[in-house]
Amino acid sequence: MIKEMKKAANTLENQYIQKWKKSGGKVVGYSCTFIPEEIIHAAGLMPFRLRGIGTMSLSIGDSYFGPVICSFPKCMLQLAGQGTYRFLDGAIITNGCDSMRRLEECWRKASDDYPGTLPEYYEFFSVPHKAVDYSIAFYGGELRNMIETLEKHFGASISDEALRESIALYNEGRKCLQKLDGLRYSEKAPITGEDAMAILIAGHAIPREEFNGILKGIIEDLEKTASKAENKKRLMLVGSASDDLDFIRAIEEAGAIVVADTICFGSRTYSNLVDEQAAPVHALSSHYLNHSICPRMLGYYKSRLAYIMETAKKAKVDGIILQNVRFCDLHGSENGVFERDLEAAGIPCMRLEREYGPLVETGRIRMRIDAFMERIASAEVHAGE
Amino acid sequence: MKKETREYNYDWMIWSIFNAGSKVLDGTQKEYESLKKVIPNFRTLLDTVLRHGEPGVLFLKMLLEYLDSLVTAKKQGKKICLGTFVTAKHIFHAFDNVVPVWAEPMTVFGTLALRRATTEYMDYCCELGFTETSCSAQRGSLGAYLAGLAEMPDFMVCGAPGICDTNANAIQFMSSYMDLPLFQLNFPAKLTEERVMDYHRKDLRAMISFIEDHAGTRINEGKLRESLEEQKHQDELCNEFYDLMRLKPCPVPPIFQLFHYGGRLTMPGKKSYTALLESMLEVARKNAAAGVAGTSTGKERSRLMMCYIEHYTTDARFWEWLDAQEISLLPALIFTFWHEGANYTMGREDETYHIDTSNMETMLDSLSDLNSRMPMVKQLRGPYDAPHMWLDDLLGLSKILKPDFLIYVGSMGCRNSWGVNKLVQRDCEREGIPMMLLFADAFDDRVASWESVAEKISEFMHVRRIVS
Amino acid sequence: MIVAGCDVGSLTTKAVILDNTKIISYALIKSSFNPDQSASEVMEKALKQAGLAMNDIRLCVGTGYGRERIPFVKKTVSEIACHAKGAYWLLPSARTIIDVGGQDCKAIRLDIKGNVIKFMTNDKCASGTGRFLEVMAKLLNLELEELGKLSSQARNAITLAATCTAWSQAEVIVHMNSNTSKADLAAGINDAMAARVSILVKAVALEKDVCMTGGVAKNIGVVAAMEKHLDVPIRRLRVDPQIIGALGAAVFAKEKMEGK
Repeated sequence: MIKEMKKAANTLENQYIQKWKKSGGKVVGYSCTFIPEEIIHAAGLMPFRLRGIGTMSLSIGDSYFGPVICSFPKCMLQLAGQGTYRFLDGAIITNGCDSMRRLEECWRKASDDYPGTLPEYYEFFSVPHKAVDYSIAFYGGELRNMIETLEKHFGASISDEALRESIALYNEGRKCLQKLDGLRYSEKAPITGEDAMAILIAGHAIPREEFNGILKGIIEDLEKTASKAENKKRLMLVGSASDDLDFIRAIEEAGAIVVADTICFGSRTYSNLVDEQAAPVHALSSHYLNHSICPRMLGYYKSRLAYIMETAKKAKVDGIILQNVRFCDLHGSENGVFERDLEAAGIPCMRLEREYGPLVETGRIRMRIDAFMERIASAEVHAGE
Repeated sequence: MKKETREYNYDWMIWSIFNAGSKVLDGTQKEYESLKKVIPNFRTLLDTVLRHGEPGVLFLKMLLEYLDSLVTAKKQGKKICLGTFVTAKHIFHAFDNVVPVWAEPMTVFGTLALRRATTEYMDYCCELGFTETSCSAQRGSLGAYLAGLAEMPDFMVCGAPGICDTNANAIQFMSSYMDLPLFQLNFPAKLTEERVMDYHRKDLRAMISFIEDHAGTRINEGKLRESLEEQKHQDELCNEFYDLMRLKPCPVPPIFQLFHYGGRLTMPGKKSYTALLESMLEVARKNAAAGVAGTSTGKERSRLMMCYIEHYTTDARFWEWLDAQEISLLPALIFTFWHEGANYTMGREDETYHIDTSNMETMLDSLSDLNSRMPMVKQLRGPYDAPHMWLDDLLGLSKILKPDFLIYVGSMGCRNSWGVNKLVQRDCEREGIPMMLLFADAFDDRVASWESVAEKISEFMHVRRIVS
Repeated sequence: MIVAGCDVGSLTTKAVILDNTKIISYALIKSSFNPDQSASEVMEKALKQAGLAMNDIRLCVGTGYGRERIPFVKKTVSEIACHAKGAYWLLPSARTIIDVGGQDCKAIRLDIKGNVIKFMTNDKCASGTGRFLEVMAKLLNLELEELGKLSSQARNAITLAATCTAWSQAEVIVHMNSNTSKADLAAGINDAMAARVSILVKAVALEKDVCMTGGVAKNIGVVAAMEKHLDVPIRRLRVDPQIIGALGAAVFAKEKMEGK
């Protein structure tokens, strides 16, 4: 089943999406974890996390974006301009970060030059940068506007009842993913980081009902699976969005296993549950603002640091890789402060800057990881002396 | 950081430079000429500012008044609040014991005045873990703060969330690194919707509570009223300033743009800024009456509008070069403040702010509206081509002031603008206004030297045959 | 006991043969497209110089980008550890190592025992790497090796905008058009290089003694400029700085044989 998940993760318009579309289903893409999938789901649509995998060139991406922009939205634009995203019936772009938010305009303008590459439903959605009562209320208002536009365009009805059902469904998935985390944190972690990441990414690219079922099956299997963590250094991955399985493989080939992460394709989306008792829109806005471990939520450094340290302890982590995509200042800079504080707490860290896109720099990354692993190993030896 | 850079506090150094500079014309011209011989590092900047006579002197004196308050704040038992230039200072001026200091103007002072600009402080930020791809506008002064080479702030505010990540991130880094309390103002993507204005107002009041908590004092109604009333008067003067700039040739010297927004960002609502504006207007009126341009020769070869920010290379060579080239400099797009009655707001009155000083509530509402129209806060919050946003403002301002060409310059950390400046360029060209993108950094000459920037601009003007 | 180290880099491949505490030979060649081939070639060269055969080598450790592909190597270690090991072996007081190669730039901090405690790399950008110097030398129509010595003849070193290698070429052209002397340009180039590298070094919290490895350490202009920027003397290592990685690998081999 994990092989299936890898395939689903590595193929943009995977078989599940193809099946969904064939049966008349519609797909709405979203750019960032601050858009509640539950709302799209409650409209009877399939939410799909936009990604940039499979780009071979940035000719279109570079034409509209300037040079000093993170490659993540550039890759997404490249795919859009090439027509790879034609399977989308809608797309919602947020101000997850400044590079990402400008994707909204670039995509629109590119579609003037590449007709037919803009989904019919296309919206910009802005999210507050803090979680206080009036920002949560405001965000709730924005969500209601989004609901209206979805209802209008797709002829759907997103009742509170439907939202509750969707929230319950996604919470079920979250609980399973938390179980998965539990398995990964255990001493006899039965799954590699690469495989786990494949599952997490696939979760954003498969209709949720189906995914929950698959996930339960995988977890059952894993509970009987032998440890993959023998003699491996246990690492945690922190930083910029990463959906590149090759990247995790490159890390693990050095003799490591990635047992935890705080990246947005990973634990950010499921570490907490949405409150099923409260009014659904309020519950969603409260959840997505309060529980997103993301540096765009300014001023919450301490709670993010605490989360990392707690997770590192739970997962018995030997070292933390603090990576960022070049030009990602939100993660890149916060990684600098994390390094200071985590090293002070005795957790070895390594900062790594990379590009988002086809992994052509495996050699360089391996070199850095090898050096880090050597460092961890020698620190252990000397701690024992 | 070089040893000599660590010898003195950065803010004190800036104060010291401007302190000396502002007193220079109190003596005779002969004394001034002799002095210049012994200040090789500062004489160019001083000349550039002071050769404009009274406005130059008032500019320096106004800045000195501000810097005085900053370097003596602690001695006077006051609190220092560090933030960024997009937040209106009136809020802070209404407290008896708070002195606001904004990262970017502090960077600009050093960039203009110091031989190595603020590059060492910028690099120091990176040594501590800050990404080198971040905006240089904050890094230049924040490096000094992080190195302990300035009067340390007691708390911080940031008005950039929702507008500019990289700016907000710099403040967040500083707050996390130095464990300082931080309040963020947060801006939604639209400007004039009722919900949005309501959000601004709640947010502003929350910020004021935060300041009160950390300052230990309450906001002073009388001081706020005084400040806002003065601002009303300053806005009227500014409206005339903008009207004069419609004239051909433009009677306003290029460097007056810096005086205008430099003053507005540092000392809004203060009498010393009013004096500066009045003095600038006198010069502009005189030029207008004589039908001459504000350039030294009185001639205008072409009209330039900076469509984002200006260039702050050492010795203020940007404005001097424009002057020497007889290029009239129109107001930079970002530094429009959207006060009522400004010519560029015609037909767009709902985008302006209105100051009502009747009572505390009306004043806070006015302040909230004013604050949400600060540079970048107004036009960068939503998609660039949405109503009230960057393109809308740029084309509107261009229609009124009729530039011959536009130039974009920013910093290499500006994701916001580099994400869409090609789109802006294409749209402006389609409207018939030539626009060039400068691959340079307005605060860091190590990215592209001023000489190569000037060459590129000349080349552009030559190739596109830009003359009035 | 004879051991060897082989460093297969993207631009050059090096081999060092060590007999106890003596370097009995070393060789350096330009890397070919095929790392196995480069490794074999350079090893052959080093062996020939020492008058030895492959059988005489008890153990060979590999490092560098191509390390996994070296046919005669039983163990591989990262470049970073090897540079550290090599430098520390030559200079036990070394605590900060600055390695500037053709394509990247690393700053490594060691503890008193020579273990790597921190490292930072800059490899997403050409400026601050040997590539920058290569590009500049080409522009000035000089051999890369000439840049260092030439800068000592500078009368009026220029300040070069060098945050971006691509754009700094335009800057150099502007200067060349104003008839700036090559020596002044070279000095500016070396200084700009040193300034960029210094930022990285300071980020690992530099501690004395500081030394440099990698090809760029042969550029005396850059080294002198770095001493100024960092305000610390840079201790010269007594062997070719380009072979320190391979030397470190050889020392790892020695230690392994000694059961360490």
